[in-house]
Amino acid sequence: MGAIYALVALGFVTISRASQIINFAQGEFVMLGGVATFFLLNGVRLPYPLAALIAVMIVVLVGFAMYLSVLYPLRKASILILIMATLGISIFLSSTSGLIFGTLPKALPPFTDEQPLMFWGISMLPQSVWVLVSTLVLLTFLYLLSHRTLLGKAMEASSTDPLGADLLGISRSLMVFLAFGVSAGVGAFAGILITPIFFTSYNSGTLLGLKGFIAAVLGGWGKNSGAILGGFVLGIVESLSLAFIPSGYKDAVAFVILLLILYFRPKGILGSPFIDSRRW
Amino acid sequence: MKNIVSLLSVLTLIFVVWTSPAHVAEKPYKIGVNLEFTGPWAEVTKTVKNAMVLEVERINKMGGIDGHLLELLFEDNGFDPGRAAANMTKFTADKEIIAIVGPFEDNLQATTRAIAEREKITNMIICPSNPMVRSLKQKWAFNIAQSDIIVSQKLVDLSLARKYKKVLVFHGAWPLAQSLANYYKAFGEEKGMKVIISQETHKPTDIDMTPQIIKLKPIIEKEKVDAFYACTGGPPGPIICKNLRTQGIKIPILGTHAFGFGFIIALGGEAMEGVEFPAAKPVVFDQLDENDPVRPVNIDFDKRFRDRYGVGADQLAGYGHDTIGLIYDALKRCQGKVTRATFREALENTKGLKSCHGIYNYSPTDHDGLSKTDMVFVRIEGGKFKRFKLPGFE
Repeated sequence: MGAIYALVALGFVTISRASQIINFAQGEFVMLGGVATFFLLNGVRLPYPLAALIAVMIVVLVGFAMYLSVLYPLRKASILILIMATLGISIFLSSTSGLIFGTLPKALPPFTDEQPLMFWGISMLPQSVWVLVSTLVLLTFLYLLSHRTLLGKAMEASSTDPLGADLLGISRSLMVFLAFGVSAGVGAFAGILITPIFFTSYNSGTLLGLKGFIAAVLGGWGKNSGAILGGFVLGIVESLSLAFIPSGYKDAVAFVILLLILYFRPKGILGSPFIDSRRW
Repeated sequence: MKNIVSLLSVLTLIFVVWTSPAHVAEKPYKIGVNLEFTGPWAEVTKTVKNAMVLEVERINKMGGIDGHLLELLFEDNGFDPGRAAANMTKFTADKEIIAIVGPFEDNLQATTRAIAEREKITNMIICPSNPMVRSLKQKWAFNIAQSDIIVSQKLVDLSLARKYKKVLVFHGAWPLAQSLANYYKAFGEEKGMKVIISQETHKPTDIDMTPQIIKLKPIIEKEKVDAFYACTGGPPGPIICKNLRTQGIKIPILGTHAFGFGFIIALGGEAMEGVEFPAAKPVVFDQLDENDPVRPVNIDFDKRFRDRYGVGADQLAGYGHDTIGLIYDALKRCQGKVTRATFREALENTKGLKSCHGIYNYSPTDHDGLSKTDMVFVRIEGGKFKRFKLPGFE
């Protein structure tokens, strides 16, 4: 569970680093990834890897289209309006997916064998291992992208110092455009990874998006490592909480954590580049 | 001359109007359908709608009821209580509408049932999921479903026949699941079984039940439980089965009637193998006994449904079929002029109506219609629903 929150949180962070926008449609990218793969696999009958690849590409295109059609025309508006716009897109995407692909939940076959593996008395699905490994790979990839390439550095520059970035000739619109593509891709990938374990339906994106957002805040808003840490911490705390409180409150735990972190440590566990710690 | 021509033309006009079919045909009987055509139930309601349309067309082709055709009026309530109530009010305002079908969702139907009582119009509810609302004994509301009581009775029969002495119930935190769990315990303990209702519950939106199951595992091992009852419906069913098998818990799983949908097997895959539950007859209509009274109804309906829509009929299509069947049957039996009141009387006196889900018997004290004998035991085998019989328990 934690790995999924982490992947969603990663998507949030990628966009906010480039543009400071909080993209509430992030959960819908996850949903679209799973649902589109399901459609390509069972509707068009493509082989699994190809279906997954095309689904990721479709969702990346959706991410680009979302930026070009809604957010780019609104770029002069305040950040708050852009965030509201992403909420609208989120509702639009989930309803459209319900209309096109149907409203019943969907499951994908696991990548490999279904027999649970045993590690020191803890049983685990092979698919969970896939999720963990893929999360690590993606993290490494995003780390290299933002710290080792000119593109990533340009992305970060346009976020931390917009004026400076402009002066250096970095096209900020292009950076945000790319960030949307990357985060849509990460989201879609997460969706494909988790659909074999948890079922994806047209409206499952919202809750995943919110939990991912909480994970991102928990770990430290604006940090890739924070997103990953926050995701895992949130997943573990949620599962452990069941030992002490009735399971009906499971979803509430995440929101209580969000409130606590906002009261006592708004910059998150690892600290946030966006929130000035001196103010607190 | 000019006068004669105009007189002739007026006469011709009168003649044409007099003999035109519009004058001869009786007014159609209108039925309002207030369902969730958009939102989470969109696919479910589409099947129901298709089945209803198919049946109405068949009845109209046969000439309707004493020359009156049936007409369905559809309104989408968009999964919104306000709109469901508005649709209901709109339908009641149309004096030609005799009865209203739907909605599905608990809180929506609670509203429309209340309006039905106030406005004195029949409200037929498919699959009422909240037993508290279902059993209100309302005069104008009729239910088309296997109730929580008969499902629990049937499941107790199944457990007794399988000689399960101790069963652990893991139920959902919504009224129908809670009521199923309580009735199962009550009926089961009457027959000397030990039923443990778990303190842990789950919600319809839960996508991972592993934490709950890890907490239940010691109970299963300590108490030596014979079977695990996944008292739930929708996606949590397959999730629970998957999570149980992942945790290496191998005891038999019992399910509810809500397991009888193809998509449940598709979601759960291998983990669903061997799950047993009491099911509605349309789930396994081709495996019913040769002399089962509802077998021919189902086979005929499935064929027509398949010809028209390209997919076979399922439980939900069956509900659509039964709704129209009940309306048709009641309209035929209406004494004198068909009004909302006479229709209700006739519907309440439905006796022995053979339909897809079984034999419907309504009475002033029973608005549920079906009984325990309208269910069969089903087991999931090789990715298919397979009917089985147990000696002494059908």
